[in-house]
Amino acid sequence: MRNSKKQKAWGALAAALLLTLCGCGKDAGKETAEREGNPQEDFVYVPEYLSLNQYCENIGTVILGENEEVFFTGLKDEKNVLYSLKIGEDTVKEFPLETENGIYISSVGKDAEGNLLFGLTGYEGDPEAGGTISQVIIKKVSPDGKELETIDTGNAFTKKDAFSFYIAGLLQGQDGNYYICSGEDIYVLREDGSLYCEIPVGQYISNMFALRDGRVAVVYRGNVGYSLEEVDFSQKGTKPLNTSIVFDYGTYQGGKDTDLLYTQNSVLYACNLSDEKPTSLLNWMDSDINSNYLRDFEILQDGRIVAVTVDYSSGGETELSVLTKKSRSEVPEKEILVYSSWYVPYYVEKDIVAFNKRSSKYRIEVREYGDESTEIEEKITMMNTDLTGEQPPDIIDLTYCPLSLEQLIAAGVVEDIMPYLEADDTIRKEDYVENALRAYERDGKLYAIMPCYGIEAIIGRVSDVGNGKTWTLDEMMALADSKGADTEVLQYMTKSSMLHMMCAANQGLFVDAENGTCDFSGEEFGKILEFAGRFPADAEYDPNAPSQIEKLRNGKLLLLMETVTAVSQYQMFEYEFGEPVNIIGYPTFGGSGLMLVPNSTTVAMHASSENKEGVWEFIRFNLTEERQEKLGTANGGFPILKSALDKMLEKETEDEYYVDADGNKQITSKSVWSTDDFTVEVYAATQEQVDRVREMIDTAQPDIGIDQQLFAIINEEAQAYFDGQKTVEDVASLVQNRVQTYLNETK
Amino acid sequence: MSAAGPIWKKVRQIKREAKGTGSIKSHAPKIPKGMKKILPASVKGGKEGKSGIQKKNAKSRRTSAAFLTPSVCGVMLFFVVPFIVVFYYAVVNNPIQHHFVFLDNFVNVFHNAAFRQAAYNTMKFSAIAVPLAVVLSLGLAMLLDSKIPFKSQFRTFFLTPMMVPIASIVLIWQVLFHYNGMVNDITALFGAGKIDWLKSEHAQVVIIVLFLWKNLGYNMILFMSALSSIPKDILEVAVLESAKPWQIFVHIKIRYLSSTILFVTIMSLINSFKVFREIYLLTDDYPYNTVYMMQHFMNNTFGNLDYQKLSAAAILMSLVMIVIIGILFLTENHFGKDVEG
Repeated sequence: MRNSKKQKAWGALAAALLLTLCGCGKDAGKETAEREGNPQEDFVYVPEYLSLNQYCENIGTVILGENEEVFFTGLKDEKNVLYSLKIGEDTVKEFPLETENGIYISSVGKDAEGNLLFGLTGYEGDPEAGGTISQVIIKKVSPDGKELETIDTGNAFTKKDAFSFYIAGLLQGQDGNYYICSGEDIYVLREDGSLYCEIPVGQYISNMFALRDGRVAVVYRGNVGYSLEEVDFSQKGTKPLNTSIVFDYGTYQGGKDTDLLYTQNSVLYACNLSDEKPTSLLNWMDSDINSNYLRDFEILQDGRIVAVTVDYSSGGETELSVLTKKSRSEVPEKEILVYSSWYVPYYVEKDIVAFNKRSSKYRIEVREYGDESTEIEEKITMMNTDLTGEQPPDIIDLTYCPLSLEQLIAAGVVEDIMPYLEADDTIRKEDYVENALRAYERDGKLYAIMPCYGIEAIIGRVSDVGNGKTWTLDEMMALADSKGADTEVLQYMTKSSMLHMMCAANQGLFVDAENGTCDFSGEEFGKILEFAGRFPADAEYDPNAPSQIEKLRNGKLLLLMETVTAVSQYQMFEYEFGEPVNIIGYPTFGGSGLMLVPNSTTVAMHASSENKEGVWEFIRFNLTEERQEKLGTANGGFPILKSALDKMLEKETEDEYYVDADGNKQITSKSVWSTDDFTVEVYAATQEQVDRVREMIDTAQPDIGIDQQLFAIINEEAQAYFDGQKTVEDVASLVQNRVQTYLNETK
Repeated sequence: MSAAGPIWKKVRQIKREAKGTGSIKSHAPKIPKGMKKILPASVKGGKEGKSGIQKKNAKSRRTSAAFLTPSVCGVMLFFVVPFIVVFYYAVVNNPIQHHFVFLDNFVNVFHNAAFRQAAYNTMKFSAIAVPLAVVLSLGLAMLLDSKIPFKSQFRTFFLTPMMVPIASIVLIWQVLFHYNGMVNDITALFGAGKIDWLKSEHAQVVIIVLFLWKNLGYNMILFMSALSSIPKDILEVAVLESAKPWQIFVHIKIRYLSSTILFVTIMSLINSFKVFREIYLLTDDYPYNTVYMMQHFMNNTFGNLDYQKLSAAAILMSLVMIVIIGILFLTENHFGKDVEG
């Protein structure tokens, strides 16, 4: 009896304890697992896709109309055609758009009544090579294709530089005026097309749209986040909208039920300006829509959402998606793969959306840690707890992971994917560039594969750096010494950044990670300190300073540090320097100083994942020929698949042609590289350049990145040397002492 | 030696009399062997008798259990369960695979150079700082217990560090002991070269000074309180018996202070482990190796997700702590048992 009572008492205690524990677990799980997005977890927006390219291959502009229609323009028999498609139907209506020769459709917008506005531009000369604007016309077309009005803007834009003037946005306000936005300026035109005023905003305008009440607003990058301002006629300027909501980079448009609809970090928000915070409507990724490709969207009266996306990385594939809100139980279930990410870059979103659309079995959901307001330390703790917790993610993004691969391996978090690669029937290990494939290999085990990568390098004149493949710090110092004191070696390079670069390129010289030892007593470390000490402590952007290209051509800037992602960059560098260049690695004390850096979705498989096959399917998906052949264009960089790389490099050497007015085949530029200071057209690369890039890929060392803790110690101690307070030997001794402790700990 | 015998014998006798264990007999009635104590009916509870008492006892137990449950749950949740988790992590290969490796983690930790360095530094620091903290604070307490002027002001002066926030203390120490700090400025006046106090072999000296500066006041107050509770009659007797001050100190005061000494020693020992906070704020995660402490090792291994190493180190450290505190208890028991009430 007594025992029974005791048992009951202990049982009650255990139950109380269990309840407390359960409560804790639930909260902790929620904190990391929940993602901002669809607030109604029981519902999901199910997409139906329709490719508009089936009606017209070269779609120019696209816009959603007021009456559940989508309008897009394209070329048919070398004439501009306006297509209209009723949502839910599959046949298009075609209306010819009468335009004169040499007049191009630059932009499409709407007026307050739902008519379409086409901004047409004519050029004098080649618009990509110093041409000017000859004519700007606004054409108003009714939704049934009837041309209502043609407004000639006269001399409002003539003689403007064709490169700097481009109609990025066009609309007609409730006041009857037309608004054109281009670069950093808004142009207001009267109904007759004459220029009413020009409003310089001073920043690149990323969006122009009409709010629900008809006011015209613009969005641009401000001091904190993004600024939303309304056009103020009285001041011929803009003034901030009265709202407490903080905005960031995204796409914005006026709403019908709310003042504003906008997409930020792939979440669609609705808000009135008087609201304290916006309402999230959906996460585009949940509906397999890449928000970076979003061109227009509308919320229909029946609650469906229509979106138009254009994927320029795949040749401008234009897709119409109709999202219908359905109960989760109505949607076929897929196995969920959780993608743990510190930050979701555009290419990750692209790959996840593409995979989710393709896979009938798996669906990837992103798990982020905290939000903008979360402290970094707290985010790290959340991530660490999640990685080692009971419900860990399946996929770990390595590109932005705060933990190094070595730490993840030591904690047993990541799985060796080599067996999956070797056992796969569809892809073969030998088909991939060996050097890039081995970037995430440790002790014979492979933990990740980067599908696409760039090469970090230093670029200099052949007359300065020679034709060699590698160079030493002594050579770099000698080059710097041979120039005047007012010559910069690398732009915006500081003592710390130079120290980081040199330590990263030469860390093998100082640290023996395998045995957990280090040696900073050699003269190499002293040389690095001495060289880094020549750079300024801080680098501030000076808007009045000569541009980079001016400095390079005047010999006031010796070298560039860039990530090479295409062979055609050779031509851009030669243009910048004004003479032949050599792409060479970071100075080292032996070995290549070129660094392979991932520029694509690079992930590891969690060792505790219950869906390892699914994770491998995702990794493999990005390694397939179809995806690999698009990656170079989509991400910028070189594909890891040999055949895709070969195709890419081969294409780089092929000339492109156009047929001139006389019917002769003329060589034309393949692409254009441009910065704020210059634009350069690039043509076919030489075989020599292609061979050099191949060699660079084969010899570059994987950028495993210098251990941040290790560099923090070096950088902290080096400051005393930079300040002239300690000798190289003193600093080396302190670094040796502290780094050795660090290495001992990790053994 | 006086005619009445050694002073400590006198003290023991007085003490025994006071506790009633010496020559004065206890007057409590004793029940002869084999006989039961007969209680009056009112005490037994009449007819209900035994069952009534049992019911009361059961109710009392239930009430006690109800009051105890939250505390027991708290202890289980925040002490017992975490300890079990730590022990579990110490015997598995990593937090993901959970392969049982028995003592491998302990062996690895024991062979880890960073752990050994941290253990050595921590032991060295405690071995120097704790006795110094006890001796100096006792000395100060004795000093302030004697008839000196400005006693109150001195007491306040020594207690001041307790009121200063840790961030300010660290700031003060940085101003003093930084490479460009005041101490180097002063030594430079005498032609001495600069010393990087916090990043050299002198680093532990600086931390010991900081530790003493911060903890002496509190310890001193404890000792002063203990000193004031020593029975005055004993001290007076000792004086009357012509005991010398050192004899009074060694044979009376120290004995009466033994439990306080034990408490101060344990507190100082605990605080010496907690000095990590100051070192961390002064020198970050990876300081100069002479001030790399056990908590550095644990903190850093936690950050690196190396839970198995962290757990093994924590268990080893707690074992050492148990042994040290056990020894302290035995010592106190040995020297102070005859003065405990």
